[in-house]
Amino acid sequence: MITEYYRPEKLDEALALINRKDPRTLALGGGLYINEVIKDPIAVVDLQGLGFSAIDKKGKNLGIGATVTLQALLTSGLIPLALEKAITHQETYNRRQVATLAGTVVAVNGRSPVGGALLALDAELELVGESKHKETQKLGDFLPLRQEVISGKLIISMRIPTKVALSYHYVARSPADLPIVGAAAASWPSGRTRVVLLGYGDQPVMVFDGPDKEGAEIAARDAYSGAADQWAGGEYRSDMAAVLTNRCLGELAEIKEG
Amino acid sequence: MLDIELNINQEVYLLQVNPGERLYSVLRRLGFSSVKFGDEHGKSGADAVLMDGKPVNSYLMLAAQAEGHELETLEQMGEHPHQGWKETRGLHILQQEFVKNGSIQCGYCTPAQLLAAKELLLREPDPTEAQVRDALSGVLCRCTGYKKPVEAVLRAAARLKGEEVPPIEDPIQVPPEWMGTDLSDSIPFTRTVEVDGSTLTAQRVITDIKISTSPDNWRQVGKPKEKVDAVKLVQGKPAFAADFERRDMLYAKVLHSPHAHARIKSIDTEKAKNIPGVRSILTYEDLPRVPYSTAGQSDPIPGPLDCYSLDNKVRFVGDRVAFVAAESEEIAQRALKEIEVEYELLKPILDSREAMQPGAPVIHDQDDYVQFAESDPTRNLAAEIRIDIGDVEAGFIEADQIFEAEYEVPKVQQAHIEPHAVVTYWDEDDRLVIRTSTQVPFHIRRMIAPVLGLPVKRIRVIKPRIGGGFGGKQEMLIEDVAAHLTIATGQPVQYVCTREEEFYASRSRHPMRIRLKTGVMNDGTMTANEMYALSDTGANGAHALTVTGNTTKAMALYVGDGKYRDAPNIRFYADIVYTNTPPSGAYRGYGVPQGYWPVERHMEFIAQQMGLDPLAFRLKNTLRAGEIHPFSVAWSEGREPVPEMIQTNALAECVEKGKQAIAWDDKLADPGWKSVEGKPYLKRGLGVALVMQGTAIPYLDMGGASIKLNDDGSFNLLVGATDLGTGSDTVLGQMAAEILGVPLEDVIVYSSDTDFTPFDKGAYASSTTYISGAAVVDAANQVAERIRERAALILESRVKNATILPNEIELSDRCAIAPDGHAVSLEEVALHSLHHANQEQIMAVGSYMSPVSPPPFAAQFAEVTVDTETGAVEVDKLVMVVDAGVIVNPVTASGQIEGGMTQALGYAVSEEMVYDEKGWAREINFRDYHIFEAHEMPELETIFVETFEPSHPFGVKAVAEIPMDGVAPAVGNAVFNACGANIKTNPVTPEKVWRELNK
Repeated sequence: MITEYYRPEKLDEALALINRKDPRTLALGGGLYINEVIKDPIAVVDLQGLGFSAIDKKGKNLGIGATVTLQALLTSGLIPLALEKAITHQETYNRRQVATLAGTVVAVNGRSPVGGALLALDAELELVGESKHKETQKLGDFLPLRQEVISGKLIISMRIPTKVALSYHYVARSPADLPIVGAAAASWPSGRTRVVLLGYGDQPVMVFDGPDKEGAEIAARDAYSGAADQWAGGEYRSDMAAVLTNRCLGELAEIKEG
Repeated sequence: MLDIELNINQEVYLLQVNPGERLYSVLRRLGFSSVKFGDEHGKSGADAVLMDGKPVNSYLMLAAQAEGHELETLEQMGEHPHQGWKETRGLHILQQEFVKNGSIQCGYCTPAQLLAAKELLLREPDPTEAQVRDALSGVLCRCTGYKKPVEAVLRAAARLKGEEVPPIEDPIQVPPEWMGTDLSDSIPFTRTVEVDGSTLTAQRVITDIKISTSPDNWRQVGKPKEKVDAVKLVQGKPAFAADFERRDMLYAKVLHSPHAHARIKSIDTEKAKNIPGVRSILTYEDLPRVPYSTAGQSDPIPGPLDCYSLDNKVRFVGDRVAFVAAESEEIAQRALKEIEVEYELLKPILDSREAMQPGAPVIHDQDDYVQFAESDPTRNLAAEIRIDIGDVEAGFIEADQIFEAEYEVPKVQQAHIEPHAVVTYWDEDDRLVIRTSTQVPFHIRRMIAPVLGLPVKRIRVIKPRIGGGFGGKQEMLIEDVAAHLTIATGQPVQYVCTREEEFYASRSRHPMRIRLKTGVMNDGTMTANEMYALSDTGANGAHALTVTGNTTKAMALYVGDGKYRDAPNIRFYADIVYTNTPPSGAYRGYGVPQGYWPVERHMEFIAQQMGLDPLAFRLKNTLRAGEIHPFSVAWSEGREPVPEMIQTNALAECVEKGKQAIAWDDKLADPGWKSVEGKPYLKRGLGVALVMQGTAIPYLDMGGASIKLNDDGSFNLLVGATDLGTGSDTVLGQMAAEILGVPLEDVIVYSSDTDFTPFDKGAYASSTTYISGAAVVDAANQVAERIRERAALILESRVKNATILPNEIELSDRCAIAPDGHAVSLEEVALHSLHHANQEQIMAVGSYMSPVSPPPFAAQFAEVTVDTETGAVEVDKLVMVVDAGVIVNPVTASGQIEGGMTQALGYAVSEEMVYDEKGWAREINFRDYHIFEAHEMPELETIFVETFEPSHPFGVKAVAEIPMDGVAPAVGNAVFNACGANIKTNPVTPEKVWRELNK
């Protein structure tokens, strides 16, 4: 239940608000997740007035403002096709108009294609706290501890590499259904290869990050060997993890070959 | 409170809102009725508005977030083109195309679809079909299958660019391959949008003259007329139950049980009652204890009376514990949290196989349980069916081979986008008015009376427009909640279910475990069929007997060949048991889809094992015209059965046309077709299922209609039949217009209101076009006769020495025309009868009850691609060829087929309701309960093979439910054909296929 609403135009003001202890105060991006799930009394700080809505290509990285919507990101023409695929898979057209990048990251769950793709890209978040000190944090470090990390801070942008090939494959009951198992893999020009699995648990998991792709399939199979829940058995998920990882790696090889 | 300024439709509103108030609530409060509630998670998109030109879900947005942005609702888009002396801008081209194209069924999601389409066309004036589908992906539609809305957007895009689009009525030449040697000239109906060259929008309706005797001179029946309610719905007018408001209205909420099986030891409501704004809290201690059934069926209810508005025992997670009425939904919600309940937990039954085991907990142990037929609550048995036709054991002995297998079908949800919604209030005569989203207003009035302690005559039930029902609203599910609270408070009460409540506290399709045994001779002749079904009715027995009894229709299709045609051997036994899961109930198809999954999977397996052509094998054994429906001699929903002969059956023609449409022979003969180049793990396959439904319940279902002539020659047609988005008001109007010689626009159709419209049993059992249609014909014929008599008098007075026989007068073009060509307009007849001479009201009431239930037949084809590494199944194409008698309106009828196939597609691959070990539902939202979205649809094709059913004046049968029957087994068979995975439990999920392939 939302008891207070603020729309600051200055970062200081926003930070001061979210650092209050009483009432508990949360940042509001598009609002999809807060409006959907929060039942306890809270105050919200709407970030739409802070101007974190730019997408900038800087050198080998793409900087994406925290309040950039998934639709804006999708149509920017600056992101890998596989990330576009993950965005359209995760959210329908209406929700993409409102869902912000930061909100999507904070609300990542195990079946989140966007979270999986960003984790495969080894995305980096830029956060700022009340002292205005900026810090960066890898998405992989952020996700498991996100509630603690985000407390009193704001995500202001995300950085993803531009020279990295990305692939995303999944299995679902229908093309637009959320994944039972998904794999996202990224390949750097150096050969570095990173594989992420999704479809199970609280968040996508990075299962492989090596100088090349050797061992990725086995790592994926092992990582999901116990991934059983009401939606699928562990044996199935484990096998799919291997199949989908292989498909991703095959696609990355094709991308590399041009 | 916050002071905010909202810019809505270019007007500025200064508002005070709560910080947490949703934009949706504010818009509704301001009267923007086009904004609808669909769900809490923004998946339905019914709550969409445009914000700065982009579609957003207003239920997921705070009103305060919208400040500083430009909002647009559908109210801004266009308006009725004719409003008396005032010039209007008329409907937007998009709205016009939605109306013309039959893109609106229930109309609940239409406003959101239109806004999404508008945004698309402004952004991309020349969209591809894929872009249209992506733009509509944020709006769930459960009625249309998205085909016609997509077509409408493409047509509107073309028109906005200044291009011409083919008229909806335009015929095309039937391809020669569609015309068998026995077929004469056809008048096909089609619409092909070629904006993007896609074939997805093609549609054919073949009028098969060989077996149809429908006259060529019909002007209304058989024509693609616009829906009579379309203009209202395309503007988002306040037409639905929750759109209705009353001064001092209270809002109801229900406290649901968190336990699957428990006795309530105590309830303390004091804290909740002390919350300001709470007006009433009711528990079982406050209400009279009246056992009833929630099943909206005719009297006497063919099932046990095992429900109570509130009870001291809960029988499933989601069962009712208390009712709250408060000044706002938020206050009512807060009150729910403050009600303290102490439960004594009881062991639940969550697996139907355990229900009748010795020592199983007794779910209905109350003394006032009212039994029906063989129901036995001490054994958790809600109903039992034992049907033996012929000598099944002898049939098995005569067989060369016996095939036995077990199958399973899941619990699934109707998932109408409009949730259950009701408003109740006392009128000025102290009569209780119930305005509710129901399929059965007359049954509700009869059934709720004893529950409330009111006589029927003091209750009025009004059915406004319904945002889809699919059987889910053939139930008294919400009306008593609001009514009890209105009685308690004296105030109007609105109760609208949340989407979560729809999943855990409403009704769903009966899951069944089915065992099949079939005897077959080596030449493919079936000698005997036996089915045993263990059906799970959940915590209550509404529809328990009749749904499972209907499962026999799948068995009835296969009688065998040769001597078995005259004396088939069929056995159907079923036990319908209670469990501590949410109650099952009516869902489009009503037991028949549960039967066809096992039967058609079984037929395919037998054909494959015996090396028989699957279609020839089926057709060799199916029921034919001129034969007795086998179950008509054995069972009739608990009443005396009466033998019934099949008059029309074009199943063979359906098969032939379906094979051509999907290129059955070519594809199956081409080994290369089954593979996908570069992807050896993908395999293609084709599957088929033959199906038969029913049309109404014989000797039971009755519909009534009244028709009244107005001063201008127009007519009021009042029907008790309930259009829940199917277009039944339109087809009933077309029948009346045909007989009365007027265009459809001259027939003002109104449905339904228990105070004003004649009785109708309601919208179920595929009966409205057939039963209610015959009632309309009856009334129209009486009115036509009176018009002819008066017209003869008028004409004789005008033409010297003329003798004009009324029965020679033709009604056409709004005139009564004598054989010599002299004519008098209906307006003149009306003025004459109402004002000039020997005054009378020309008016009549008709009603109809049928002694037969002529079955529609269909051949359902499916094409799939299976990923043999992952087990994922992608359905590429569905073709359904239907013999539903004469098609009154090809647009609305094909819309029914497309929407039905899409629902059934979910049953095939994605939809199921799963419960954990405590009875908690896995699926409580549209994210987990995945129904198909616009951008993931396979190609859909509908073909009608018309027959003329002689038992109906216009030759109709039924079209509403049959599309639910064949898709799942056809998909299962296509998967079998593609990769050999023989899946016996639907939905066909990737893991099931994978496990089968890795056995």
